[in-house]
Amino acid sequence: MTIKKMADSGLMIMVIYLIIFAIYAAVQPSALSAYSIQGLFNNSLPLMLAAAGATFVILQGGFDLSVAGTISLVNSIVAVLQFDGAIGAVGILGIALTVGILVGAINGFVVAYLKIQAIAATLATMIICQGIALLILRAPGGYVSDFMAYELTGSVLEVPVSIIVAFLVAMLWFVFRRTNAGRNLLAIGQDAKASELSGIDVARTKFFSFIWAGAFYALAAYFLAAQTSTGSPSAGEPFLLLTFAAVALGGTAFGGGRGGVTASLLGAATLVLMQKFLFSIGVSSFYTGMVQGLIMILAVLFSGAVQFVVDKRNIT
Amino acid sequence: MNPFYSVTDKQDTRQAQRLNSTTIAVLTIYGLVVLMIFGSRLVSPSLGGISQLMNVLYLSSFLVICAFGQGLVILVRGLDLSVASMITLGGVLSTTFMQGTNEGLYFIIPGILLISALVGVISGLGVTHLSIPPFIMTMAMGLIVYSVCLGFTEGTPRGFPAPMLNAFMQNKVLGVALPILLMLVFILIFTILQSYSAFGRKLNAVGNNPDAANIAGIAVKRMTISAYAISAACSALAGVLLAAYANGATLRMGDDYLLPSIAAVVVGGSSILGGRGSFLGTVGGALLLTTLSSMLSALGVGQGWKTILEGIVILVALIMLREQIFTGLQSMLKKPN
Amino acid sequence: MTERINISNLSKRYGATVALSGVDMGIWPGEVHAVLGENGAGKSTLVKILSGVVSSNAGSISLDEEIIRPSSIIEARRWGIATAFQELSLIPNMTVAENLLLPRASSGRFWPESKASIFERANEVLIEWEIDDISSQSIVADLTLAQRQRIELVRALSHAHCLLILDEPTAALPDTSWLFRQIRHVTSQGVSVLYISHRLNEVREICQRATILRNGATMGTVDLEGVDDEDIFSMMVGHESSHKNKASQENATNKEVLLETDQLASKMLKGINLKLHAGEILGVAGLEGQGQQELFRIFGGLHKPKSGEIKVGNKVTSLNSPRQALRVNPGIAFVPEERKTEGIFPSLSAAANISIPNFATTGWAKIVNGRLERHLAAEAASQVGLSTRYLDFEVGNLSGGNQQKVLLARALMTGAKILVLFDPTRGVDVGTKQSIYAMMRHFVDQGGAIIFYSSELSELVQLSSRCLVVYDGLITDDVAANEISEERLLASAHGPVNARKESIQEAV
Repeated sequence: MTIKKMADSGLMIMVIYLIIFAIYAAVQPSALSAYSIQGLFNNSLPLMLAAAGATFVILQGGFDLSVAGTISLVNSIVAVLQFDGAIGAVGILGIALTVGILVGAINGFVVAYLKIQAIAATLATMIICQGIALLILRAPGGYVSDFMAYELTGSVLEVPVSIIVAFLVAMLWFVFRRTNAGRNLLAIGQDAKASELSGIDVARTKFFSFIWAGAFYALAAYFLAAQTSTGSPSAGEPFLLLTFAAVALGGTAFGGGRGGVTASLLGAATLVLMQKFLFSIGVSSFYTGMVQGLIMILAVLFSGAVQFVVDKRNIT
Repeated sequence: MNPFYSVTDKQDTRQAQRLNSTTIAVLTIYGLVVLMIFGSRLVSPSLGGISQLMNVLYLSSFLVICAFGQGLVILVRGLDLSVASMITLGGVLSTTFMQGTNEGLYFIIPGILLISALVGVISGLGVTHLSIPPFIMTMAMGLIVYSVCLGFTEGTPRGFPAPMLNAFMQNKVLGVALPILLMLVFILIFTILQSYSAFGRKLNAVGNNPDAANIAGIAVKRMTISAYAISAACSALAGVLLAAYANGATLRMGDDYLLPSIAAVVVGGSSILGGRGSFLGTVGGALLLTTLSSMLSALGVGQGWKTILEGIVILVALIMLREQIFTGLQSMLKKPN
Repeated sequence: MTERINISNLSKRYGATVALSGVDMGIWPGEVHAVLGENGAGKSTLVKILSGVVSSNAGSISLDEEIIRPSSIIEARRWGIATAFQELSLIPNMTVAENLLLPRASSGRFWPESKASIFERANEVLIEWEIDDISSQSIVADLTLAQRQRIELVRALSHAHCLLILDEPTAALPDTSWLFRQIRHVTSQGVSVLYISHRLNEVREICQRATILRNGATMGTVDLEGVDDEDIFSMMVGHESSHKNKASQENATNKEVLLETDQLASKMLKGINLKLHAGEILGVAGLEGQGQQELFRIFGGLHKPKSGEIKVGNKVTSLNSPRQALRVNPGIAFVPEERKTEGIFPSLSAAANISIPNFATTGWAKIVNGRLERHLAAEAASQVGLSTRYLDFEVGNLSGGNQQKVLLARALMTGAKILVLFDPTRGVDVGTKQSIYAMMRHFVDQGGAIIFYSSELSELVQLSSRCLVVYDGLITDDVAANEISEERLLASAHGPVNARKESIQEAV
């Protein structure tokens, strides 16, 4: 029970994160400065948000490749909108979320109601989004207002904005998973048939999981623009594989039913921290991919082993 | 022959004329390819000739080869996300070992195929014996292989392919480029392998219904692993050819083939869930995607619209291929009788 | 008094398979009404239609004289119809409270209700239905099967204001008194109950009337006071078949033993000893879930026994995989009951489906010779009476009967001497059944041996040269050919003879 609870609540990945961070800080004491913590979190935030979004879909047993396309698209849109100041930033956020939700709704409709396999359907929407992104922004560049580039990557009352955002997302999940929608999402991931017999509207729940995902991808793209002060029509491409790696690392089971958004946030943060750490101890950046790959396999094996132990105990 | 009259027989007779839905899909795709190539003459007189056809065939040969492997993995209910890295591996290994000479060419190419097949075996073992989801396993293997390539070459692959390979990519026989002939030979072999050999029959059975395949006495895990091994070897071969074509390897040379390899399989009428698909359909899918992209470029359509159209083609193919729609169409056609 | 629920001419097809073909029945308010029938008679389809999981193709359901057509569980609940499903529909890693209250575990729409308050509400439900040994905070996966079954029942009870549907509610319950108390409680408030159970003594204890289904159609509704068990059994199995006796078969028990088990035990089996002789069709009868499924899967190499040994052709063997079972001399070919999930390769042609054993164990480079394959497949097909014109069809498009013929032809193709058939005629029509029977007789005449389980007693009577009855993981009866009758099998299947008498006395 305890192992499983730890894995489910993201406590495990939290511990892993802290251990790596402690070693990192020991190797490189400057890592503890407010500036570098802020930088670390600014770097992590887009991947954390993307992983949070993907988790909604994976928890219900689905799959969403459109993460790369949606981030590219929204990132490009953010970079062509020339609204300044705080109000401008809010306006852009609104537009970004609208676009993300729209893409999510299309994905959700095609998968939940037209019953097309999620991998194939979201592959198509990803490509379409990438195309639209190219129409909006031909080449990397564009305009990101000073407010976004500085205030959104800065601090409020000494707390980095990125930490605040991540915390808010974790809080949102904390609340959401206790609502009916959240419970039903987890239920259909565990057993879609039993959920249907329990009276859950399975198609509708799946549909909304894609909407949540779209909204979070948009948020990721928005903060990516703020962090890089620029836009790119291919901004999302690196996210395609890393997002799933982060979710896997967080311990969310592919196939659904087990895991959570908070764990994915931490999984993503760990992935980014790991890169910094490997760099700091002098592992050639060439080999970080190798470590990431191995960690993904180990993470899945580990969460599988936990599940195996739990199942075994239930049978006897 | 049947001594007992059966209600069952009466029900099935009515379906006797039913056309296989996959056949319809494959024919439609080839029809579209032909239509697009020759129809494009109407838009621009410089297009639609034999030379454009040859060009499309030449360019699609790389995709056709890696899509075969991808198709086998999808057939056994998996997905191979290591295609891009395996192409890079093939390219990097070939230029590194060949170093611009023909020496040892006959050992190097089989050697590369063997190494890559071993990587595929590792992916397959992870999927079958450790129950790691296929896309995680192949994605992780892809990351690892890519990182090894990156570390091994320190960021810039050196060396050149063997001159003989370069010549192979450029020479023509009877006006047909050798890679096209090679592709035709491969299509023949692969089609036989996938659809007319015991191996293909068993893979089809595994993808169709793994539990039933197990009961029928098929070594399900071994078959699945071999699909991953073949896929890895195919991608590496595509990498060798690409490196010869471009006269050198780059680390990102495989990136343009990962998603199209999946798309070609899906557009070609295979089910992404496995168990249904023909290689000829996949070839059609690869030709269609390559034709579309080269035609749109020739017409001066921007990259954006090009990509959007490609996505829409995939989406439409998916919606069209759904079983229900076919049965729906069939019942609509049947009603007048 | 008007009927609470009236079902008229209800029909349902799944593709080419007819599940219900005209069910008529009515239930009074406050009545407990049993639905009886053999496996596959259409009971579970009826449950699914009434509870909104699937919709009917024809016919109507009226509730208090208003036509209803529930299209989801939630909609059925709105009419006051709730179901406790046989295959429990609980989410394993959630609390009892959450499961009881799904899909609206939290009373607030957007803001979560506190855990304490959810547990509080769930506790009220548990107390209302007299459950004091299960905490609403426990995780369902940690409960015993019997506890889970009660939670499933409580959930249905709490939602059923008009009609409560109970599908095998006592399958996992050690004691019925709690359930029957709750049923009497709801019926006293006018709720009707549709009760499905294999256990006739329970049915007699709690139900007033029973509707008997056979082959998806209503055979009639009877007052349980006025009929005895034998009448009900014969209505379930059909009058015409109960005295139809098989062609006499020579006694095969002195021939060579092909398959033998000694104290075979597994999760459900508690020590099975049996011998299968060449030239013998050994029938196995039993109620659902008595262990027969595990026994057959052990023979097929799909399930490992815990202890005991298996001898094939007089040699002790371990059957670790179907591959091994096929290879061991003289070879065991298993045909599972689940055609769709474990049998067919839906998108391959019938010929390819039949000839797969030719390739399963050979090298990879062997080229499939289309003409030879078709020829071989045709030979096997003719033995099971499958018309050769279907050989080029995708098997997924064939009807259930022809799919079954394809599977049996495949089993013949393996060259195995022992056929292990689990319910080979489930859901197939009469003509196909006759072809299958002919194939089975022909096979044993050639020196093969067959062990088969059937949920249809008439079939066991017709085919078996000997019939075993399993009950609770043991062989409780071994009936010789001349003594096999449906009544005898049914009686033994309901428990060892003495136990059954007691239970009847209890019920009376």
